[in-house]
Amino acid sequence: MSIRLGRRQFLMGSSALAAAAAFGSGPAWAQGATLRQFFWGGQARADRTYAVNDLFTAANGAGVDSSFLGWGDYWPKLATETAGGNAPDIVQMDYRYIVEYAKRNAIAPLDEYVGSALKLDGFDEDQLEGGKVDGQLYGISLGANSVAQLVNLAAFEEAGIEPPNRDTTYDDIRAMGEAFQSANVRGGIRVIADGSGSEPMLDNWLRQKGLALYTADGQLGFDADAAIEWFTLWQGFRNDGICVTAEDQALDTNGPLETTMVVMGKSAMMPSNSNQLVAFQTLMTDALTITNYPRIAEGVGGGHYRKPSMFFSVGGSSANKELAAEYLSFFVNDLEAAKVLGVERGIPCIEATREAVAPDLNAADQIALEFVANLGDLLGPLPPPPPAAAGEIDASLLRVLSQEVAFGARSPEDAGQYFVSEAAAILQRAS
Amino acid sequence: MATQVDNTASSGAGRVAPPSFWSGVWQNHAPGYLFLLPWLIGFLGLTIGPILTSFYLSFTHFDLLTAPRWAGLDNYMRMFTNDPKFAASMRVTFVFVIFSVPLKLAFALGVALLLNRGMKGLPLYRALFYLPSLLGASVAIAILWRQMFAGNGLVNQVLANFGIQGPSWISNPNTSLWTLIILAVWQFGSPMIIFLAGLRQIPQDMYEAASLDGASKWRQFWKITLPMLTPVVFFNAIIQTIEAFKSFTPSFIISGGTGGPINSTLFYTLYLYNEAFGFFRMGYASALAWVLLAIVALFTAFSFLSSKYWVHYDD
Amino acid sequence: MTVVTGSSPTRKKIMSIIAHVLLIGASIVMLYPLLWLMASSFRPENEIFTSGVSVLPSPNWSIDSYIRGWNGLRVGFGQLFINSFVISILSVIGNVIACSLAAYAFARLEFAGRRFWFAMMLMTLMLPYQVTLIPQYVFFLNLGWVNTILPLVVPKFLAADAFFIFLMVQFFRGLPKELDEAARMDGAGPWRIYWKIILPLSTPVLATAAIFTFIWTWDDFFGPLIYLSDLRQYTVMLGLRTFTDNTGMSDYGGMFAMSVLSLVPIFVFFLLFQRLLIEGIATTGMKR
Repeated sequence: MSIRLGRRQFLMGSSALAAAAAFGSGPAWAQGATLRQFFWGGQARADRTYAVNDLFTAANGAGVDSSFLGWGDYWPKLATETAGGNAPDIVQMDYRYIVEYAKRNAIAPLDEYVGSALKLDGFDEDQLEGGKVDGQLYGISLGANSVAQLVNLAAFEEAGIEPPNRDTTYDDIRAMGEAFQSANVRGGIRVIADGSGSEPMLDNWLRQKGLALYTADGQLGFDADAAIEWFTLWQGFRNDGICVTAEDQALDTNGPLETTMVVMGKSAMMPSNSNQLVAFQTLMTDALTITNYPRIAEGVGGGHYRKPSMFFSVGGSSANKELAAEYLSFFVNDLEAAKVLGVERGIPCIEATREAVAPDLNAADQIALEFVANLGDLLGPLPPPPPAAAGEIDASLLRVLSQEVAFGARSPEDAGQYFVSEAAAILQRAS
Repeated sequence: MATQVDNTASSGAGRVAPPSFWSGVWQNHAPGYLFLLPWLIGFLGLTIGPILTSFYLSFTHFDLLTAPRWAGLDNYMRMFTNDPKFAASMRVTFVFVIFSVPLKLAFALGVALLLNRGMKGLPLYRALFYLPSLLGASVAIAILWRQMFAGNGLVNQVLANFGIQGPSWISNPNTSLWTLIILAVWQFGSPMIIFLAGLRQIPQDMYEAASLDGASKWRQFWKITLPMLTPVVFFNAIIQTIEAFKSFTPSFIISGGTGGPINSTLFYTLYLYNEAFGFFRMGYASALAWVLLAIVALFTAFSFLSSKYWVHYDD
Repeated sequence: MTVVTGSSPTRKKIMSIIAHVLLIGASIVMLYPLLWLMASSFRPENEIFTSGVSVLPSPNWSIDSYIRGWNGLRVGFGQLFINSFVISILSVIGNVIACSLAAYAFARLEFAGRRFWFAMMLMTLMLPYQVTLIPQYVFFLNLGWVNTILPLVVPKFLAADAFFIFLMVQFFRGLPKELDEAARMDGAGPWRIYWKIILPLSTPVLATAAIFTFIWTWDDFFGPLIYLSDLRQYTVMLGLRTFTDNTGMSDYGGMFAMSVLSLVPIFVFFLLFQRLLIEGIATTGMKR
């Protein structure tokens, strides 16, 4: 038996799998008209998705076999299934991984179905663009969102100052931080979390300076001076008690919402996303809202952009690509489906569906919808999709360096230099 | 593994002048292989294939999504010449092994001895001490651990009573690894159960005989309990060390997969996992795995060699 | 520990009291997380993370989390408990049979290549599973076993878990050899010795293997994650992971509630089997 898993066999994995498929090894394939779907999310997202699947089955006759897991478990499972040539027909994709999967044909280009099985009339142009890799459409955005500052309104009230608004600058944050210190709210809550390790916040700051995190050809879009300035800015905030301490910030493991500074009561603001307001609000009794990231100076904008919060893509080895495209079409166009989905995955990308969901939204969802719809001068162009190594640069460089500066293991100058040189090395290795 | 010293007496007794050479071979070796058959089928059929595949992959660049490309010794070269995180994760893992294994074994043995006395409420205590191990490394435990060892957590509240102002243990790079060592030691239930089973297997009549000879309890412990328990001590030491070298879930769950702060809890297998599934470098991860295997195998071989001098089997 | 040198009754009593005080103190440390888990499972969602490590019940306590959690996942948690139970019980049966057979061969029988195979067996313990996962997955996919419980159960019947073989080897080697020899003199073959002598004398280690297999299979998360895709086949541990999502809405209350319930079967299994731990040579007829 072991011989069957020899090296040749493994190398030719996909053809062996095709043979296995012909034998009908997967129960889903045997029935033909059943789509396999896999997404990340929690129970709330699953309930909505399943309800839409039922609508699709009622309308189309095809079944949808769907399962879901949390973000952290989703990716290893999807990678394993893809490596085995057994990826589901419909997978949820993230902006971060879409290039990775598309370049390796692990997800299928959808251009041939557009206009027939996949109707995208009136679909927001920027959201369509966000799902393209090398000019081909690989993912259908399930909603737009934007980075946003999460604000604990109750904390600001206790501090006796106005919460931030769309004109707030980094200098204003410093002033607010000092007000928080003198008010000594809840035993010393700080005004803002330490954002130096937050890739979206750095990205936003760079864009306001006319720079970018990554260029269109996948290189770093800024130099050591900018990186040093960034680390120095936060070092100042940290030293002066404007942002949280190094030890407190390190409690945030960059994942679970319950480890974030606002939920833990360490800060009154922190970088977040527009579609997460609802999730945060369920964890806290204090009233929360969202606003934009601080401006680098009065009147400067263009840092934000409407990011596709997640996509549906079709598995590269799917035997039911056309049916999957039909499902995607139904998912983003059908008004009944839209009402069920609400803005849970982000703001719908078609005007008619946006209008259909708007009346039924709760307060937090309303805030998110209005925030994303009214970015105004804060809105800049959509950046190119990040290069494949961006995840590694974020996880093993930016976050670690920010902690090293915070704990005094490196100076901001040292960290800035190291970031730029090491990021170049990682990009080199990955290309 | 040079452990089993041939017992000439017993094999001599088993050898009944064979009628022919082949039936002698059959008689001497067939029973062993028959008993081993399920394992052999599993090993040759299920286990060895993936193991050899991973060995092959360690000489390739393999991004999971496309076919592996031959890389020769690239992966191994990078590891030893150009990868500071490899060294960092090695260091974290060695500190973890060196401190967590002896402490965990000491607790497990101590409590097992305590619980082996015929005292009241014994099953209850045994269950209570095993509880933390039941909980495993779940999301719930991760949340609790973070809250206990945070700056204003339970641990510091207790310490404050003694006038000690503790750091935020779990998020300070100098102390975070210790919170994981404590978690490992706290979950000493499994070796404890194995020790208990071992204690139960010591024939009671040995103690009775010793008591009649007037040996003290202390002497009985050193002359009977400990020597009779050495096979189990040996087992627990080896297994716990291997498990500690491979430890993954606690740091994965508690650090959210980051191995932070500043890589202070970047266990070797967590680094390996991130390379494989986070950054799509399964080839490199496989090379990392085989280096770990070499280290653990070396340690295990050494333990087996030394076992001749201190492990007492009844054969 | 057995440090008692004298045997005067008062001294014994004092030692016993000290032992109990130590044990009770330690038990609180051991028990605390469980109490916290239970307290959290009755808290409203927005109080869980603001209550710190308190184990006091919330004044706003409710059993909503249990109802919501139990009915979660569309199929309901009852189905998940059945799935986990079936997989765990089959694993116990497989492991105890297959591992004891292999361990008997390694511990008591002479055959060519024994040391080699023993070393191979130990080697399978040493390689991190993360790198054999994908080849293993491809292999089971070729067999058509993916999305069934076969990849989780069949290896147990083929003694793939070297931990238990090694454990049993250590115990079997501790049994007096004279027993085998006496039996062999009476004309007993290896099977009879295994069945009539070794197994009956090994209740503690077999019970240990059963307990660990049940609990570890129940707690295993990675195997089910990779091999099971259908919600109706999810195990409890897999189900627990669907309550929390780092990027969006989570249901922490449901997660805590089902975490508490998920402990019940393994705890009951432990209580049932731990009596077997005490049986064995010490209480059975070891005296020849």
